[in-house]
Amino acid sequence: MLVGAADVAALAEAAPAVPSYFTEPLVLEQVVLFQTVLEMHNQAREAVLPPSLHPTSPPTLSVQAWQVAASPWGAFSMVVTRVSCRGGVRARGFTTAAAASTDAAVEGLRTQLGYPARLATVRVLSSYSRAEVTVTEADGDSLGLVAIDPVPLGPDDVQYTSTLNLARVPEGLRLAQVEFDLVEPRRVERLQARLTGFRAGCWGSERLDPYHVVAASVAVGTVRFPPLRFLQRPDELAFTGTETIGGAR
Amino acid sequence: MKFGIFFELSTPRPFSRAAERAVYHNALEQCRLADELGFHHVWAVEHHFLEEYSHCSSPEVFLSAVAAQTRRIRVGHGAVVCVPEMNHPVRVAERAAALDIISDGRLELGTARSSTWTELGGFGVDPDDTKKTWDEFVRVLPQMWTTDEFEWQGKAFSMPSRNVLPKPLQDPHPPLWVTVTSPGTELDAADRGLGCLGVSAAGYEEQERRTREYHHRIACCDPVGAVVNDQVHTMNFLYCHEDYRQARDVGVPMVNAFNVANAHLYWTREAYPTRAYQGLGNAGAAMKPKRAPADDPSVAKGLPEGVGVGDPEHLIRTIKRWESIGVTGINFLVNAMEMVPQQQVLDSLRLFAREVMPTFCSREDLSGPVSAPTLAVGAR
Repeated sequence: MLVGAADVAALAEAAPAVPSYFTEPLVLEQVVLFQTVLEMHNQAREAVLPPSLHPTSPPTLSVQAWQVAASPWGAFSMVVTRVSCRGGVRARGFTTAAAASTDAAVEGLRTQLGYPARLATVRVLSSYSRAEVTVTEADGDSLGLVAIDPVPLGPDDVQYTSTLNLARVPEGLRLAQVEFDLVEPRRVERLQARLTGFRAGCWGSERLDPYHVVAASVAVGTVRFPPLRFLQRPDELAFTGTETIGGAR
Repeated sequence: MKFGIFFELSTPRPFSRAAERAVYHNALEQCRLADELGFHHVWAVEHHFLEEYSHCSSPEVFLSAVAAQTRRIRVGHGAVVCVPEMNHPVRVAERAAALDIISDGRLELGTARSSTWTELGGFGVDPDDTKKTWDEFVRVLPQMWTTDEFEWQGKAFSMPSRNVLPKPLQDPHPPLWVTVTSPGTELDAADRGLGCLGVSAAGYEEQERRTREYHHRIACCDPVGAVVNDQVHTMNFLYCHEDYRQARDVGVPMVNAFNVANAHLYWTREAYPTRAYQGLGNAGAAMKPKRAPADDPSVAKGLPEGVGVGDPEHLIRTIKRWESIGVTGINFLVNAMEMVPQQQVLDSLRLFAREVMPTFCSREDLSGPVSAPTLAVGAR
């Protein structure tokens, strides 16, 4: 059984602080959620995951791009990169990096959900014929995705696994489990995607090498983040290293 | 009640050529013993690229060795993955027929469509198509076995008229099964007159519902073959020991190791948005934690209900419960990840055969030829 081999101390350098937990659901409205899954080589397997997580075979990178019209932090766009993994027996995605388009969103994502968000220019376009995502840093584009030929799917046909964000929470350095519900999506589609640009160093590790697109999807609807419920110690397997927040079940 | 053993040929890290050899040869020894002890079936799965979980990518080769080294146990080739990128249907029919001849008519053929992205993606399979191609396969295989001029125009494949050779020894053809993972697949099996081969361990309540619906539906099926197989077999684990504590201490880690490895598979739905695959994983998905009386000493703590880990008395009670809800056979995984030393696996099989199987099978049933579980169409 493989386990992650990344140095937790090194990962912790990018970990944001979550000083307290939100208690009411966070609601993001009129969200376009674009997700692409790409296979990677084994160099991006255990080496990028903390020792508490198990890699998948093949390892994949899921790129989630969000365009949000209304939220507690106003309108914003963001991109999150996650490496597929297992926390115990559960399917999870470990966040390696995130970029958001506004200061308020960066602050909210970091302090409430534990995303290691930074400020960047994030452009998410979704139409009836295509979807495009571009992330631009001070020194140029760090990510580009283009997807075409949408095929309609049912509202339950896209799987969003829970996200694990390494963050400094009140209990200490932990993987915070972030879940969300896509409420009554009014459009769900599968697309054929192409990665047009990817600078691995901007997305958490030079080892990330997304070389083969599996599929992409677009969903449009309201996103509801319930209060955080579970934490996991980054250096201990989930079977023993899982903690609940406030006695949550 | 029929009893079988089945193999994923799971192989723990660190990988070595010698370790893979040991897994294969341990399994063959278990098959020889099961044959002597009166077990009815041995099944071998088909999986590709699933590190640790299953190194059984050429089950027909493994099963040829089983057929050659045994005399009465039936040989379960299943499930064959029925997508043309992995197996052309003509090759499936040819290999199965040859295996039926080699085994002197002891073949059973299971059919499936694969459910991990690791496998489907590795062969470039479109997940949206697998249900369709599986349906096509199960309809053509009996025809290939029973006609001298077979031709086909379909989605999965097309071909001009040819005589697919050899023909199987069993006349008209070997029994066909469908592996049932997703809820509802048992009805697909019933509609086609195919046996229901459970590969995910459901709890009693869920299995009872599925079995009842299966039997209702198969009573009015439109068989795809020349025989109907109306049997319901489930998957289970087996570790039997006189002392329930020892059974628990050895069996529970084995069950957990399998379930963890299963949960670590990369399921299609996680990578590829589709209507064709609705679940993430299958191990114990429908199982419920056992709510046994606190004074039941045979309860293996941490196991879901109905699992075949315990002392003989506990296993008899467990199997009677399965029997009472219409299950006609149980196929046991007797080891996983080589967690149980080979000698203990063999001892467990011997004890089970001596103390448990006679409750459910006659002496003749445990020593004579195992009959095919099929009925001629029209004989029902």
